[in-house]
Amino acid sequence: MLQLEKQKKGTNDLLRLIGEVDASNSLILDQAIQELIQEGISTLLIDGSKLTYISSAGLGVFMSYLEEFKEKGISLVIFGLNDQVKEVFKILGLDKLIPLVIDQVAAEAHRHEV
Amino acid sequence: MNKFNPFSLGKITLLLAILVWLALVTVDLIRIFGMINNLESGISEEITWTLELLFFSMLYLLYRHIYRKTRELDFLTLIWRGASTGVFAAGAGFLTDVFFFSLGDSKISSDPFLKNIFYHLNFAFTSAFLISTALLWRHLILYQRSKQVVNQWQVFEVMMGIALFFVFFNQNNFDYSFFFGLILLLILSLLLSSNLKWIPYLNFKEKWKSLLFLFLIFLCTSFLFYRILSYGNEARLQINLTDNLFLMGLFAFVFLYALFSFLVTLFNLPTSSVFEQKLAEAINFQKLSQSIQPEENEEKVLDILLDSCVSASYSDGAWLELKATAGSSPLMSLRGLDPTTQSSLSKEISSMNQVASWEQDSGADQISPLPLRLSHDSFKTALLVPLLINRRMIGRIILVKEVKEGYNKEMLGIIGTFSRQACIAVENHQLLKQSLQNERYQEELKIAQRVQKALLPVRLDHSSAFTLCAYSHTADEVGGDYYDTYKENEHTYVLIIGDVSGKGTSAAFHMAQMKGVFQSLIQLEIQPAAFMAKANAALSKCLEKNHFITASIFRIDCEKKVFTHARAGHIPTLMYQAKEKKSALLEIDGLGLGILRNQTYQNHVYEKTYAFAPGDILVMLTDGILEGKNQYGEQFGYERIKNLVEVHHHKSLEEIQQLLILALHDFVGGEGMIDDDYSLLLVKFS
Repeated sequence: MLQLEKQKKGTNDLLRLIGEVDASNSLILDQAIQELIQEGISTLLIDGSKLTYISSAGLGVFMSYLEEFKEKGISLVIFGLNDQVKEVFKILGLDKLIPLVIDQVAAEAHRHEV
Repeated sequence: MNKFNPFSLGKITLLLAILVWLALVTVDLIRIFGMINNLESGISEEITWTLELLFFSMLYLLYRHIYRKTRELDFLTLIWRGASTGVFAAGAGFLTDVFFFSLGDSKISSDPFLKNIFYHLNFAFTSAFLISTALLWRHLILYQRSKQVVNQWQVFEVMMGIALFFVFFNQNNFDYSFFFGLILLLILSLLLSSNLKWIPYLNFKEKWKSLLFLFLIFLCTSFLFYRILSYGNEARLQINLTDNLFLMGLFAFVFLYALFSFLVTLFNLPTSSVFEQKLAEAINFQKLSQSIQPEENEEKVLDILLDSCVSASYSDGAWLELKATAGSSPLMSLRGLDPTTQSSLSKEISSMNQVASWEQDSGADQISPLPLRLSHDSFKTALLVPLLINRRMIGRIILVKEVKEGYNKEMLGIIGTFSRQACIAVENHQLLKQSLQNERYQEELKIAQRVQKALLPVRLDHSSAFTLCAYSHTADEVGGDYYDTYKENEHTYVLIIGDVSGKGTSAAFHMAQMKGVFQSLIQLEIQPAAFMAKANAALSKCLEKNHFITASIFRIDCEKKVFTHARAGHIPTLMYQAKEKKSALLEIDGLGLGILRNQTYQNHVYEKTYAFAPGDILVMLTDGILEGKNQYGEQFGYERIKNLVEVHHHKSLEEIQQLLILALHDFVGGEGMIDDDYSLLLVKFS
């Protein structure tokens, strides 16, 4: 089960993931991100504090936008991941490509740095 | 069961009947001789009657035996048998008369012995005819029997049985008791004669034939009866076999049933077409429900439906319209109309408001045929029949008639049923086709499974420096886990384990690509990190957008007792060190393959060289094992594997592998509970 919550603040978007991302619902996440891109955002903050599990299909969604974000200058920050989910990102090496920070404050701070 | 041979039973009764008849003739001739010569022959009348009774019984048994299989015969054949026996018996009687007439007044013509022999012959034929015909009637009466009819027939048979012995009681006289018995039998015959359920099943032609045959039976019976009566009146005969209640009762029964059948058949002639129509409808109905075989197409059923509708409604013309669906053009078949008439009729029908609203109702479950009044020159009525499949109107049948108000309620009913049945047949056909296709897909998947299995190495390259053991399980028919080995030279071996993101067929394809990449790049004898960089470049060209592959590669140098390892996003390998008696993860950074699809990838992959000692164990896994969850949602994790390897490190690799898999199954609560691919590759250095 995956629930998505969107929050908009100017050109900053916050997408809150609640539940699990797996092969059955990774498409929903993909669509949500695509919509956000079309709306013309400059920063995408992902709130992963309520994300309990992410499968390779879910990781694939983030991975597939890396290049597009880079081209369009959109900065992606994920914050609040629990240890288990964070470990999944780390094993794959995604932590080197996507900033994983502790909380929203840190995420916003990170965005300003970029 | 029955030890009697059925052939011999028939022959025995026939033989007995003839013997009894011969005895009867002999006895009677002796009696006549006695009477003529006023000698006491010492043979009483009762012996004649007893023999007569025996003769009737034998005939009854004989014909019961002959007709035991009448169920297989049609009515017409049965009646024809009766008629032919009758013609034979009557013919014999007639020839006897002609014979005696031709003798004129000569002495021989009045010879009582000759006359009696012929009398006995005629008696035998008449009896045979009556008994066989009565048994044929029995079959007709008991057609579609009810308990009541069976009871009536049994009463009749019992009565006839009593009538057989009646002669002993009334001494062959026409007294009141005789007439009383006869009237009783007449009443029963009348009752039985109302059972004529077989008649409607004859078609028009068969009815005419049966009328002829029944008339013949009727004539023969009358003729034979007349002859017997006239014999009875002849004073010269001292022996009378025929003033017998049994025989008279039979006459009455055969005569009455023939008469009733004749009349009822005659009056049924005009309505026989209705019955035939109903029968044809039933057959059409059956055809509709049976007609589609998997290799046949739906149009055939619709064709049968069209024909059935036309014949059920006596329509003068009809056509079938199928709406165009993807991949097929609109279908049209015509019956009894030329295309120009059809198009003008079609135009008129589609312009009607009723039709539009009727079509809109087609979303409803039940939509009945719609009768319409037409203003066309020759066709005055039309009937629209919907074809609904899966609640969608796929087309319609239009029936037209030259008369006004041509379609009555019954026709609407039967046509509605026809179309529903046909649609069910088409629906079933579609389902069948679908399931056949699914079966084909299953077959294809099995092939894929076989092909993929062949992608994993059967023989693992290894040397005396280490042993190897591998296991792989796929959640679906095919999966995305991969391991392989390569022998670079006598001392250098390469091992790889990989995991494609996702499951099933797409993962399997990517796994095959991975195998290709490994087997070609490894020929270059490159170092692990370089391998990953090249593999990433190659896979970036062929992986789907949001798919990636993780892999761990080990290049083992048996001479130097070291291995070089690179990890591309794959879950870390566990290494048990015999010296330390401890196991630890080989932590090294590295990005999964296909995540960064450009040159910068090489900045994200590293390699590291480790020394190994005898007894050291490498446990390479895919994440299916780590992520196996128990009923509380806990994951299997590294700790359990670590402990297991530390406890059982001295055992053989196969045993360790077995223990690991068992532990996993125990943890998740059964083998079927793991919904992911998982693989194991174990190495033990020696």
